Amino acid sequence: MSSENPQQIDAPPLTEEIAPGTATDPPVGSTDVATVTVDGATIDVAAGATLLDAIEAVETDDSVPALCSYDRQEIGPRSECRTCMVGTDEHGVVPACSFPAKDGLTVQTGAADAAEARDVNLDLVLSDHNLRCTTCGKNGRCELQDAAIEQDVEEPRYGVLDDRDEYEPIDDSSSFIQIDRNKCILCNRCVEACNDVQVEGVLRMEGSGQDTRIGFQSDAETMEESTCVSCGHCVTVCPTGSLVEKGIEDATTIPLPGFTQKNSVGKTDESTGTSKGPMTPKKRTEHTLETPTTEMTDSPSDDGISSDTWDDDQSGGDWL
Amino acid sequence: MTAITTGDHLVIRVAAGDPDRDPSLSTAGFDGPIVNVGPTGVPALEPLIAVTAAGRTALYTHCSTADLESITASVEETGDVDGADPDAVVSHAPDRNRLPTAPLPGLRAGDRRVLGACSWRRPTSVADHKAAGGFAPSDAETVLTVGNSLNGRGWGDLCQDDPLAETWRTARATDGDPVVVVNGHGSPADTLLLSSAPFEVLDGASVLASTVAADRIIVYASSEDDNAVKTVSSAVDTYPDPAAPMEVVTGPEEYRAAEPTMAIEAIEGNHRLEARLRPPGPERVGLDGRPTLVHTPRTLAHLAVGLREGIDEQTRVMTVRGDVDSVATVELSETQKLSELVDTVGVDGSFKAACVGGRFGGITRDLDVGIGVEALNNADLGTDGIVDVLSDARCLVEFVGQRASFAAEENCGRCVPCREGTAQLASLLRNVYDGEFDAQAIAELDRVMASSSICVFGERAGRPVRTAIEAFTSEFKAHAEGRCPAGTCLEPLEA
Ligand code: SF4
Ligand code: SF4
Ligand code: SF4
Ligand code: FES
Repeated sequence: MSSENPQQIDAPPLTEEIAPGTATDPPVGSTDVATVTVDGATIDVAAGATLLDAIEAVETDDSVPALCSYDRQEIGPRSECRTCMVGTDEHGVVPACSFPAKDGLTVQTGAADAAEARDVNLDLVLSDHNLRCTTCGKNGRCELQDAAIEQDVEEPRYGVLDDRDEYEPIDDSSSFIQIDRNKCILCNRCVEACNDVQVEGVLRMEGSGQDTRIGFQSDAETMEESTCVSCGHCVTVCPTGSLVEKGIEDATTIPLPGFTQKNSVGKTDESTGTSKGPMTPKKRTEHTLETPTTEMTDSPSDDGISSDTWDDDQSGGDWL
Repeated sequence: MTAITTGDHLVIRVAAGDPDRDPSLSTAGFDGPIVNVGPTGVPALEPLIAVTAAGRTALYTHCSTADLESITASVEETGDVDGADPDAVVSHAPDRNRLPTAPLPGLRAGDRRVLGACSWRRPTSVADHKAAGGFAPSDAETVLTVGNSLNGRGWGDLCQDDPLAETWRTARATDGDPVVVVNGHGSPADTLLLSSAPFEVLDGASVLASTVAADRIIVYASSEDDNAVKTVSSAVDTYPDPAAPMEVVTGPEEYRAAEPTMAIEAIEGNHRLEARLRPPGPERVGLDGRPTLVHTPRTLAHLAVGLREGIDEQTRVMTVRGDVDSVATVELSETQKLSELVDTVGVDGSFKAACVGGRFGGITRDLDVGIGVEALNNADLGTDGIVDVLSDARCLVEFVGQRASFAAEENCGRCVPCREGTAQLASLLRNVYDGEFDAQAIAELDRVMASSSICVFGERAGRPVRTAIEAFTSEFKAHAEGRCPAGTCLEPLEA
């Protein structure tokens, strides 16, 4: 936009082509070394720390799932799941994973409003999750499953995504990586691994509202058609059974004859069988820059309720 | 060029918010002093013709080209401003530089200060604005002093309901060259200011830029607001000696695109808009990593007018719409009541409730509430400056259901309490129709959305529902029993 934009000038050309569809967050860590109090214990943290760093250093009163946090290798905090809410004397309820550990802050993990927020938010994550653990390739090593067990979730308040008609087809098209978006918690780790660590520019966040999903920066519909180089980094960071390495997608399935990960969902995008071109990062140049500019509006605007003017003619419970 | 507000000569003002309905377009042959001014904020009056001479103004509402012709002919013949059966006539000082109050819907509200230029001065006339005291420089200390007592207006403002100066001092003290963003996205009052009084807004932006040593001023608006974008763009082009270079950038029309950090994302050119984390807020790390102040046109116009006229008596610009005789954006003293706002237009039907504070405002059946921030906060109502009036033909359960499903459709999708919370909220409201009204579950969800969403979209998305349950519990219970007291919303379910 402007010639005097320092970041655009300094950015290496490769990363400038990458359009992950996510916001450019500010650095959220503390600016200085700090001493904070967590559940009565005093903790010293380094510059750049968040409250979660302090919380992880002590035995807390309440457990804080911090489901979407990863915070390694330039990844995170995405701070989207909000299962890390804690009470502070100074700022009320805040997300520990992305709140700077400012000197003098006093944190209570057991604050009632924070505990309620963690529980409700974890249930909200589960409400949009296909909780078919028995046929999931991550059964037993899934961070969402761990969090739910740790928090004693027996019956999630809002149920789970259990409507076959609403399931997205499993993307089984690639020979190396399977995507089951019905298990995705939108933590964005895979997108960051792919863009910020591998600098491959394959994955992105797309859509809005309930249509938010992991997609591809090229116009590809499936993993097979995408520019993926099968480095597998996204699979490594995925906390759930959403991205799994092919061959082990059924590894932890409870051995009941006839039950598999694929038929748990019912619909699958299979491989087309056509061989792919060379998997070099080079082919990225074929599709760059078209994607970012063509999609300024990414939410449906033909449903009569998306415009900012309140439509007086709506009546008859048509929102139902 | 001389200002149209000086002297007592004849001026015929034509205000047509919709350029397609401008009756003066075909009046090139006329030999009269016809000028085009910006919209009034009361579309139902437009095209509005105001004939002024020697301290008297006759107002003629919804005029055609033929009306304009006969009005002009009558003025030429009789020399009187009111010879063609006007809808209202008012007297004022001959050199008045603001639209006078008049006994017409929307114009009978209080004296216009911030909205004074609308329909009275030519929106992009440097002479008109100068004659009204505009383009006046201010020193940083004065600006900060006024900013101590002025609050940001609207949800698109970084300092909504908070004093401005502290944030300005932070931006000034932060490393990097600050940017001033004028966030004109979404609100009818802001769109009105950009299309009718853009110099007031740019004055505020310019003095603010010099106060914080900003080197860029960006006016941001929805790409759908053609008129506002066109007018403010030409005002930017003609603005004399701005404190920093000014430019206009448009973003998508979605409601969420007005959120200050999403506005910054849109200006940076991101193809997908979602909110940014904070702290640190944009006043420290904003556009391209620079300290960035995001203020609405209302906030900046209040600053400009406040610097000229003092801020002892503050006003608020508000839009009233919904079941009213005409939609209007008006300016009232902060000490006035919601009832006075609604009275400036009149209810269509009999009054039942109002949703105060825009999309995610609060529902009230009581209009005996002040329009100032404190009074609205105490009543759990919103301060966005938009009031939707609901007549007794409206069903509240249906109304808040629409607001909840709007929230579910239009959120950016980033955080769980908002993305999944709004979907569950809509579903808890649907359950009411199946006989299951769980007020506790709704209250719990609302609390969590409010305390843990990333941005105000999710923080406030539950407010219409929360406040409606408070004010209209019996209606929710009736629905759970299969009855809609307003009789509007149970049939389709049975069909
Ligand atoms: S495997 Fe493909 S999608 Fe995953 S990180 Fe590597 S390049 Fe990106
Ligand atoms: S696919 Fe996995 S890593 Fe990627 S956003 Fe979903 S849950 Fe996170
Ligand atoms: S509150 Fe809603 S709109 Fe705001 S970041 Fe979260 S999902 Fe997006
Ligand atoms: S771990 Fe903090 S929001 Fe997910």
